[in-house]
Amino acid sequence: MKPQRFSMTRRAFLAGAVATGVALVVPLRLSAPWAQQREAARISQAYIRIDASGRVTFVLPTSEMGQGTHTGQAQILAEELGADWSSITVEMPTQPAPAYRIPSGQMRSVGSFGIRLWHDPLRRAAAQAREMLTQAAATRLGVEPATLQAEDGFIVHVASGRRLPGRRLPFGELVEDAAALPIPEEPTLRPDGERTLTGRTVPRLDTPLKVTGKAVFGVDVEREGMLYGAARLAPVFSADVEGFDESSVSGMPGVVAVVRVPRGAVVVADSWWQAKQAADALDITFTQTSADTLSTDAINTLLREGLDRTDVPVTTLRGEAEATLSTNGQVVEAEYSVPLLTHMCMEPINCTAESTEERTELWIGTQGQDVIRMTLESAMQVRAEQLFINTTYLGGGFGRKTHGEIALQAALASRAVGGRPVKVLWAREDDVRQGQYRQTMMCRFRAVLDDAGNITGMRIRLAGPQMGRAYGFDPEQMAQATGNLANFDPFSLGGLSDMRYVIPNFVVEHAVVDLPIPLCPWRAIAHTFNGFFFESFMDECAAAAGRDPLAFRRSHCAGQTRMLAVLDRVAEMSRWNEPAPEGVSRGLAVVESYGSYVAQVVEARADDRDFHVERVHVAIDCGRAINPGQVEAQMEGSVVDALGAALSQKVTIRDGRAEQSNFHDYALLRIGEAPSVSVGIVEIGSPLGGVGEPGIPPLAPALANAMFAATRQRVRHLPLADHVQG
Amino acid sequence: MTAFTINGRAVEVSAAPDTPLLWVIRDELKLTGTKFGCGAAQCGACTLHIDGEPVRSCVFPLSAVEGRSVTTIEGLSEDGSHPVQRAWVALDVPQCGYCQSGQIMSASALLARNPSPTDAQIDQAMSGNLCRCGTYLRIRAAIHRASEA
Repeated sequence: MKPQRFSMTRRAFLAGAVATGVALVVPLRLSAPWAQQREAARISQAYIRIDASGRVTFVLPTSEMGQGTHTGQAQILAEELGADWSSITVEMPTQPAPAYRIPSGQMRSVGSFGIRLWHDPLRRAAAQAREMLTQAAATRLGVEPATLQAEDGFIVHVASGRRLPGRRLPFGELVEDAAALPIPEEPTLRPDGERTLTGRTVPRLDTPLKVTGKAVFGVDVEREGMLYGAARLAPVFSADVEGFDESSVSGMPGVVAVVRVPRGAVVVADSWWQAKQAADALDITFTQTSADTLSTDAINTLLREGLDRTDVPVTTLRGEAEATLSTNGQVVEAEYSVPLLTHMCMEPINCTAESTEERTELWIGTQGQDVIRMTLESAMQVRAEQLFINTTYLGGGFGRKTHGEIALQAALASRAVGGRPVKVLWAREDDVRQGQYRQTMMCRFRAVLDDAGNITGMRIRLAGPQMGRAYGFDPEQMAQATGNLANFDPFSLGGLSDMRYVIPNFVVEHAVVDLPIPLCPWRAIAHTFNGFFFESFMDECAAAAGRDPLAFRRSHCAGQTRMLAVLDRVAEMSRWNEPAPEGVSRGLAVVESYGSYVAQVVEARADDRDFHVERVHVAIDCGRAINPGQVEAQMEGSVVDALGAALSQKVTIRDGRAEQSNFHDYALLRIGEAPSVSVGIVEIGSPLGGVGEPGIPPLAPALANAMFAATRQRVRHLPLADHVQG
Repeated sequence: MTAFTINGRAVEVSAAPDTPLLWVIRDELKLTGTKFGCGAAQCGACTLHIDGEPVRSCVFPLSAVEGRSVTTIEGLSEDGSHPVQRAWVALDVPQCGYCQSGQIMSASALLARNPSPTDAQIDQAMSGNLCRCGTYLRIRAAIHRASEA
């Protein structure tokens, strides 16, 4: 498909300006290669709008879930435009805004793309707007555009390096004239020397709202005449409703309706608490399924069979496959596994809907507007043009809020009460027990080392589900597109097939094991487990070769500038080449993901009774850090998040259902367990990478490697708490 | 009817006496700054003050608040100028922000009874407030900063 080209006419500008009076509107155009990808090319109707009061609004489809993306995007825009920082407003494409309709856009906030996808289009559109404002001012003042510059929301006349008194015009006064001009095709971007708002720490735009309770999350949405819904859903993932007795709750206080939804019922009442009481009391039965006896042990048996299967095609091959089976040298073998994880977004799953046959409007903190659209289209025949989604702040996303089931429940509930607004909110127990988990995976490694202690061949067999299919990624097409041989699922093999070490003979296979459990991306997806598997095994190889873990990794990084840069930086930060302090053990790991490279050193204190992480050093190369303070915040938070997961988190299955239910049996790290974190940002001219996810993958292996350094015990199966009493 | 004071305002509410205070405040009084996270006093997102003490409102029955004084995040200050809020802004503590009302209410209660807490005292007082974004390091630093204000 050809990249879509905008040709906005004068008529189009006026149409775009109707809602707010006169305004200059400049659309954003995605740059290659994104524009050539079918899905990305459809995210096209983002724009900058400058109104007659001088207010600058940018509308972009990236949801704010804590990653700070709105602030970074605003920095890029304000700097290039020369806007007054306080004049910037961020809007999510809000239905039914004329300039952004769901049918024309695939809208999803995933893959740590917010800054790296929109950086260039934002700069370009801002430069276009600046040049149009400048041209309008030049005409007004009767001077050459070259004598004008844009700063702090004004076009200023400058001669001989001096700002001329009285010769400046605010943006707002110029927008009408500027809007009549053609959009320049080749705007000139500001030179690096003028880039003073990016590359430095600017306070987040949303912080004032978030310290006063004023930020509106999905759960906070209020609508006139709103009712509340609580869910009662099948505990076994593949089960459905057999029947329910509405009369069992119809007399309870506040109850308005009991609504059948896929796999369960939603009780609608005057308040959520009333709805919840009734949902718990509802007499409901669920169908029996073949998954009723599923257990974690049974799943592990299936995964282990996958490791042993003989019919699995090779996905990734570098060098000679046979060399990975050689017995000529030192052979290192190991098996690893990770459990199912759930997301525990602090804001439980919820959606508010007003839905009739003609029109469905939603209020939801979501990462997956397009998934919701597809869900409602297939389940309720809601056509795209009938659907309006208002995206609120998300109380955490982490991949979980890419799904559409809650939107469907809310829309069905609203339909059942004549289109009145209904807010359906899951209890925490629903959130934990309803699946959409991070995959459970097993992995088997075999490496052959030569006399110098270098890896000559490595063979990796991954066993587990293939999640990408559910997101429309065909493994055979993906294999072709990525230079793999067959059966490539990026949701399973990210971080293995594309690992950066120089290993001359290298084989990766994926034994697909389907599980009757709904799965969902979990912050950093495949890199969460492949980072753990691979970087732990690298440590095993280093130990087998009797070599230092850093030196061993470096010697497999020939030509890998970014790997070396973050390894060397984290080594310097942690004084790796000096002996660790008495009682402290260190573990190292480095993982590339989402366009960024992150190396971490975990410092742990260990004795016979306790294993405690004291400090984590993080070095990241994410290209130019647009907001270094927010890069640091993401690294700090990622360390805490990933440490909690590695230490204790797991969802286990018994009788077909999750055994965990709330924070008491699925623990997040608490403040007293959080290590100190130091962050080093490496800037060596790399392309922009993500920051929301890449801080996660190195932590678990660095932790396990520190554990090995302390105890000579190799933790190959997460969570760590299954192996140590602490 | 249950009568109490919230953020300096006298209110009477008709919800059933065993309704957790959280739902009365959010759904009836429309003060949504106090958050629902677990319903089991496990996460602290619903923390508010009753007569100055931090309380998990998701398990606190409405009947027990009769005649007492409740402060929520909306009532901590008129304009976000409480020293804890200012420190939170200065250090850009929140990420997703969902747990932060509860964090701030726990922190302000701590500082009211202990103006200069140690790290260990902070960890103890804040141990009931979870944050999946992992903002703990900045929370600890911001409490120290607020204690110096």
